Amino acid sequence: MAGLRRVGEVVWQIDAGARADMRVPARIFADDRLIDAIRQDDALEQLQNVATLPGIVEAAMAMPDVHQGYGFPVGTVAATELPDGVVSPGGVGYDINCGVRLLALPVTRSELGARKERLVHEISRRVPAGTGRDSRLSLSGRELDRVLVDGPRALVEHHRIGTEDDLEHTESHGRIEGADPAQVSDRARQRGAPQLGTMGSGNHFVEVQHVHRLLAPRFDLREDQVTVLIHSGSRGLGHQVCTDFVKRMDARLDEHGITLPDRQLSCAPASSPDGRAYLAAMAAAANFAWANRQAIAHGVRQAVRTVLGDGAARATRQVYDVAHNVAKVERHGDRELCVHRKGATRAFPGQAVFIPGSMGTCSFVLEGRRGAIDQTFGTVCHGAGRAMSRAGARKRVQGAELRRTLEAQGITVRSPSSRGLAEEAPFAYKDVENVVDVVTRAGLAAPVAELRPIGVVKG
Amino acid sequence: MGDGRHARFRWAEHTGELELEIEADAEEAVYEAALSAMSELIDDDPETRARTREGARAPVDATVRDIAVEAPDRARLLAELLGELAFLAETEGFVPEELERLAVDGQRLDATVRGRLGDPPHLVKAVTYHRLAFDADDGRWRATVVLDV
Repeated sequence: MAGLRRVGEVVWQIDAGARADMRVPARIFADDRLIDAIRQDDALEQLQNVATLPGIVEAAMAMPDVHQGYGFPVGTVAATELPDGVVSPGGVGYDINCGVRLLALPVTRSELGARKERLVHEISRRVPAGTGRDSRLSLSGRELDRVLVDGPRALVEHHRIGTEDDLEHTESHGRIEGADPAQVSDRARQRGAPQLGTMGSGNHFVEVQHVHRLLAPRFDLREDQVTVLIHSGSRGLGHQVCTDFVKRMDARLDEHGITLPDRQLSCAPASSPDGRAYLAAMAAAANFAWANRQAIAHGVRQAVRTVLGDGAARATRQVYDVAHNVAKVERHGDRELCVHRKGATRAFPGQAVFIPGSMGTCSFVLEGRRGAIDQTFGTVCHGAGRAMSRAGARKRVQGAELRRTLEAQGITVRSPSSRGLAEEAPFAYKDVENVVDVVTRAGLAAPVAELRPIGVVKG
Repeated sequence: MGDGRHARFRWAEHTGELELEIEADAEEAVYEAALSAMSELIDDDPETRARTREGARAPVDATVRDIAVEAPDRARLLAELLGELAFLAETEGFVPEELERLAVDGQRLDATVRGRLGDPPHLVKAVTYHRLAFDADDGRWRATVVLDV
């Protein structure tokens, strides 16, 4: 990539002058090994495209797990200055508030012992997976509206799903202000209403793990403790909200006088009627996603109750829940910004962040650092980051073979699709330890714990 | 529709998503190939077919769906058609098998799609506008669509 130069130990930059349409630089957090991987696809060109958005400030930034996406590369943070900077639905992505939630069980791996197999099996029974398998929760239109406005709080107060403590340990308490159900289309409701409490497909999962290494005494985690990591999002409801608004804003780019290098970046000033409508619909979808992970966590607690008893279920604690596909209005310094995080995680100082590795490898618990506020609008990476296409992964391994390999490593696997399993093979991803090392060296976050999988339920 | 037109499709390499490339000798054949690609994508897992035959969600049942979409140009019409197929798969379990009728008139597309009710994976989250293209060059029609999966 022409113009790419190193500007720090783990920071690279393409200056704004590299292209006539760039308004700010493109900045990448990576070491030598990761920058070589990042250069293999179109991620850097897509990052330069993001740098053309009206109102963008500082830089279009890529995390070390960045890879080619559509419009925004996956692993990007971009902030636009309000009121007139743009909001881009594609800069959030179709899976609005895709994110991760970590539960800590009151048992160690050795105490769980042979009951692990049954626990994984019970989770697979209680958390519909695969694709759009219908939820056991049936919400009326009014109940769905409550979820869109209040997120998981609606489930706690009206359905006895989850606790106040869960809400305390959720980003923004599971509720983005300003959600308006009237901005969520009937098609979005039709897709999403039956899916609350379901995992979805692709790279979504529920993983049973244990604390392999405790690196800092934070978040009340302890050595060998059993944890459950939930990765899911807003399901069809969020997908349709994004679809609706990409189309709507694309049709009005001329009206707003906006020219873009990629139609998928379609956007509108956040203060415009289209911008305000999108932010209200996106907030509703984000609240739905937090409620979705709340309902999945409820299924996990039911599984714990069946296998380990009522006391263990009650003592299963939510460590935190954090989004990695969202746009939020935040104040940074003296500016009010719309911070787009697409495949990137908010990491405010002291906040827990979870970085899932690929299936079969370790995941990390991190703690946000002041350096993230100073450099990335309080943001770090979101995972290992794909390095290989899904077709490429399927050519290298068959699902059944991968299942046997994981089982041989002591990892119990439940997945309805062998194809889906193969597409998520560990070798299709970058090295998560390498990614975590970069954000640590950059001062964005500090490692707290390394989690190793002992069971996985995959969509 | 079986009237001798030729088209082929392939899934191009894309790190995160699925990129569909279609080449055909007629405009209508591009739509047919797109439907075939979608059919292959959401119904190519033998395990899924086995579950369907066991009646996981609904009995195997031949049926048709009428689709009417509008868009400013043919590329976005193609995106709308694929989006509608993804929507029907997710909300009704409709697996498309054949384009029975197709009428494209400027900014409007009307189609009748024959398929069956099953339990297809809701693999396609959305049809994106990234690299979206549908044009003719030297008598050959080419289209590109990136799907979020």
